[in-house]
Amino acid sequence: MSSVLFLNLAWQISTLALVALGLAIVFGKLRIMNMAHGEFVMIGAYAPVITSSLGLSGWWQLPVCLLSVGLVAFVLERAIIRHLYGRMFDSLLATWGIAILLRETVELIFGRGYQSVSPPIGGTLRLFGADYPAYRIAVIVGIVLGFAALYWWSTRSRVAVRIKAMVGNPELAEAVGIDTARLSAGAFVFGCCTAGLAGLVLAPTIRIEPMMGLDYLIRSFFALVVGGLGSLEGLGIGAGIIAGTQSVLGAVANQTYGYLAVLTLSILFLWVKPDGIRSSSR
Amino acid sequence: MFKMKAKLLAGAAVALVLGTASAVADIKVGVLLPESGPAGLFGPSTRNSALLAAEAINAGGGINGEQIELVFADVGVPPAEAAQAALRLWKGQGAQAFVGMHDSAVREALIGRFNGQVPYVYTPVYEGNSCAPGLYVTGETPSQQLAPVIPYLAGKEGVSKWYLIGHDYNWPRDTNALAKGYIAEAGGEVVGEEYVPFTVSEFDSSLQRIRESGADAVLITLVGGGSVGFNVSFAGFGLDDQAIRLGTLIEENTLAGIGAENADRLYSSSGYFASIKTEAAASFAADYAAAFGGDGAALNGLGQSAYEGLMLLAALANKAGSLDVAAMDAAAEGTSWTSPRGANVLTGRHMAQTIYLADGSGGAFEVVAAFDSVASSEACTN
Amino acid sequence: MASVLLPVSLLLAALLLIPELFGDFTAYQIGLYLIYGIAAQGIGFLWGKTGVLPLGQALFFGFAAYVTAITLRAETGLITELALAVAVLVAIAVFACALAALIFRGRNDSGPYFSLITLALVMIAEQIAGTATTLTGGFNGLSGFDSLGKLDPFAGFYYVIVGVTVAVSLLLFVLNRLPVNLIARAVADNEPRLQLLGFPTHIIKGAAFAFSAVIAALAGGLFASHQGIVTPTSMGFGLSAELVILTAVGGRYHVLGPLIGAVLVGWASAELRDSFPYWELLMAVAFILVVLKAPGGIAELLEAGYRRVRATKPGAPSKVIAAPPTKAVDAAGPLRFDDVHLQIGVVRILNGVSFQTPATGIVSIIGPNGAGKTSTLNTITGNLRITGGRITFGRRKIDSRPPYKALHSGIGRKLQVPSVFFSMSVSENLAIAMMANRSRLLDLLRPSTYRWRSRSLSDLLDHPSVPLKEELVEPVDHLPQGHRQFLEYAMTIAAEPQVLLLDEPCAGLSPDETALMTDLVRHYQAETGGLVIVIEHDMSIVEAISDKVLVMHLGQVLAFDTFEQVRRNPEVQAVYAGGTK
Repeated sequence: MSSVLFLNLAWQISTLALVALGLAIVFGKLRIMNMAHGEFVMIGAYAPVITSSLGLSGWWQLPVCLLSVGLVAFVLERAIIRHLYGRMFDSLLATWGIAILLRETVELIFGRGYQSVSPPIGGTLRLFGADYPAYRIAVIVGIVLGFAALYWWSTRSRVAVRIKAMVGNPELAEAVGIDTARLSAGAFVFGCCTAGLAGLVLAPTIRIEPMMGLDYLIRSFFALVVGGLGSLEGLGIGAGIIAGTQSVLGAVANQTYGYLAVLTLSILFLWVKPDGIRSSSR
Repeated sequence: MFKMKAKLLAGAAVALVLGTASAVADIKVGVLLPESGPAGLFGPSTRNSALLAAEAINAGGGINGEQIELVFADVGVPPAEAAQAALRLWKGQGAQAFVGMHDSAVREALIGRFNGQVPYVYTPVYEGNSCAPGLYVTGETPSQQLAPVIPYLAGKEGVSKWYLIGHDYNWPRDTNALAKGYIAEAGGEVVGEEYVPFTVSEFDSSLQRIRESGADAVLITLVGGGSVGFNVSFAGFGLDDQAIRLGTLIEENTLAGIGAENADRLYSSSGYFASIKTEAAASFAADYAAAFGGDGAALNGLGQSAYEGLMLLAALANKAGSLDVAAMDAAAEGTSWTSPRGANVLTGRHMAQTIYLADGSGGAFEVVAAFDSVASSEACTN
Repeated sequence: MASVLLPVSLLLAALLLIPELFGDFTAYQIGLYLIYGIAAQGIGFLWGKTGVLPLGQALFFGFAAYVTAITLRAETGLITELALAVAVLVAIAVFACALAALIFRGRNDSGPYFSLITLALVMIAEQIAGTATTLTGGFNGLSGFDSLGKLDPFAGFYYVIVGVTVAVSLLLFVLNRLPVNLIARAVADNEPRLQLLGFPTHIIKGAAFAFSAVIAALAGGLFASHQGIVTPTSMGFGLSAELVILTAVGGRYHVLGPLIGAVLVGWASAELRDSFPYWELLMAVAFILVVLKAPGGIAELLEAGYRRVRATKPGAPSKVIAAPPTKAVDAAGPLRFDDVHLQIGVVRILNGVSFQTPATGIVSIIGPNGAGKTSTLNTITGNLRITGGRITFGRRKIDSRPPYKALHSGIGRKLQVPSVFFSMSVSENLAIAMMANRSRLLDLLRPSTYRWRSRSLSDLLDHPSVPLKEELVEPVDHLPQGHRQFLEYAMTIAAEPQVLLLDEPCAGLSPDETALMTDLVRHYQAETGGLVIVIEHDMSIVEAISDKVLVMHLGQVLAFDTFEQVRRNPEVQAVYAGGTK
């Protein structure tokens, strides 16, 4: 039993970390309370639907996902988001409107029905004495490697440093020659693309329909505020606490207690440590 | 998928045809359906089925000699707004009867507002035991869906260890309360029972509990997206080798979302499937396809129930001679008519009907058993 | 008061006309939108004034609705029902105030954490409402009860709704003209400044939140009677979000804005829903446009249009009245630092600071950048908590107390970058400063408080060189830097603190203004016989005004002596002339 519990835990934490990564960038770094975050996950999850309706092979799913999400994110950033930097509550409202917009558009294009996507890897693997879906194991490994690479990149790359500069002191960053407008747009699009990627990765394991985004929004926010905005460690800690609580309590007691415990824990953390456990020095 | 617009145009065309055809003194019948909200995906099929029913009724002479005209309202909204929408049809547009395909909370709100002053037919699957003057129900209740099916499956599949899982509200709880009795009668036992909040969308811990309980049958009373997510994960974990699944609200859209490879040994018990092979059902499906095109607003039990509701309304109103609630209530018991679902009788204001058991393996429903004249034990006694 | 009665009378007339002109059924529908509008007005007050955004108001709305439903089902009689209603409102007010005050205590911002807490609370409530079937009727909710007083929702009850709408609007209009309005807006404008003026901002936010909660609960009670059914959706996140949207679209800075939003949006979506398949898309686009282009909502657009037609004239200046004396402060005497340490992370900001000031006089603190001068002031007012040692003023220990208590201990502070209420006019800033440490709760509810002037403030304003008297109605963000310094100075001394902390008061001032400021400071110290601590970089000023000079370097005291002695101190010379550390 415990090995399945451990694997479920790994799955829940790593997928929540992946889903919340986009919001960590957009909310954590750019301070945009992106209520449409779940909708970008949704658009990414529709990528396999697009490729199969166009008759393309499975290899096209990733580029189609990134292209569609990236395009939508870019257009929205240029039209709406760029007016909202530094206006946190206004960004909450405007992105709420964007979320409705995206949901309705997807509904108009694809209909309201459920879509189904097959996993590229089927069947189960025997791991630690338990039968576990092979696709899930592949995803867990992929996410861990991806985060390791991202962490390495963020400590080495100059773009990461420029982002830190821009976040810390936008005027000074501009004065030093950093193009904050382009950097912000790039960060926003990147954040939304990771959300889309999360949707694509999760698609074979979840329901796919225009309203699916809401599930991911709330948990991502809570994971971020508990763990701390603006750092990968914070994201990891937050995902660990939120997904871990739900997973463990769901297994030990029942799902209702898991859900209520996550909410209660979030309230406690927000009260005692409103900047999160590992907030970046800002 | 990309055919939403075509559906809208087709629906509009049919409505136009009906509109021009029924220029004579009309009875307005209000059809309350979900065009938005969590059940919004059933809106189009409900509307289409209702339009077909109106056409059939009018072709047969209407209600008490008068042609009917449908007026629609979106009740996929919270009960307060849904009641407003229904009242707009009633007070604003003069609707004289209502057919509602929506959730129980809205039904309770409407029962309060209608207050027995207007006939009201409730059509979808629900928990039973809702009784009020002027309220008539075609929707399947748990006893109808389970009483014949559980012993059948116990025999056919040789299952005896049942795990009950549903969302946490009254319909699953009422269903399971009854199910336990049927399971015991069929010589089985309940090895687990759990209720999941609506807001939870992953079921890993529940699935682990199912595995450990050694269940060989799972009774699913999850609704909407949760049902899809659960069944996808169920198969992903390979649990479809261990247990069969029986759902009482798994219709064609849900099955499509679950996907062919995840639907192995997935049974559904319902009063209607699009693939029923009886003559009445097949011709209905053909009419539907001719009027509204191929897939998109695919036929399903919930959408089709609006057709049943209108047929009940017409049959009962014709029998009573008027749309007056007192007259209809007096005439209600024993009213009978046939429909694509089969032969139906109004018993205790609920519809005794044929119940079908379908196997969803392979991604499409195939009816494996039919049980005629199943009456509801959650009907009204008066 | 005419400007209050006019809009309220118009509102009353308009609402009463609706059933006459459009029929009872339309009135019934409008009644529901008014109910949402009332709840949204509470959000508008809280959000528009204090800047706190509540994302879970349906918690109070739904709770009141459920209690009303349960009570009405029990059919106990009108008196009991009304008494219970009052009790519930009181309970909600206490709960909401305590919740917000506890969460905001010790912080000086209204960040998203509070909004997310209210969101989590309403989600918990919705879950419980859905599953506690015996109490709440579960998913199907509670139904089958008559409305309050057995009034018909389609007829008489509409007038109850109108009554509550008008009463709430009247109350909000009146509050707009009282000093509480200014204090609430000051919280959103500049919370640290308000705390240094002695106002416990967490309690102010708590009170504002409680007020909005009570209004939401009133609306919820009306809802139960009007609808005859209460379900978990009345206590859910969806409704909470909807209320925020109505407030934003209608206009959160105006009393009637949320009502306009609720009626317009409610009516539009009911009408469009059945006839126009893309109506949700349209609503979303309209909503985004409002947020981007008209952040004050429809009400602000209407007001802008109205102002273009009828420009408002500035009011005639009203007669000043004498302010009551400041509240008694029991501390007096020298300020003393005993081995004070302040460490944040690995940085040792203060590394064993010890000194004792004289009981009266002017002490200047000088030192290179990063010496810890401003941090020293921060520890005195409690903006930073020390990690070792103690700070006493007279006999009282004053370290590690929240900043809003500083003024009550007799310590006033002027910040390094002029920190005033930028969205308000000069006279409004001064009005707030006059309330500092003088006003009692009742004074905040009296318009006469606006006209308070103390003698010392009048003297300051009448001083020929102080430029503020001509600028009383100017919004502060139009003022040049120097005038803002004077304004902040005036605000700081308004409460006549025993200890005056000035952080670079002459920064950005011209030579004439600098001379004026030093004169004012010397005059203040002579008048009150108190202690002034000044951080300055300009040695000529330091020389001119100081009784003693405290030299700080790397978080420690390098010297504490008269200016002459300090100037001759070789260590000080080394630090300033670039000697080795």
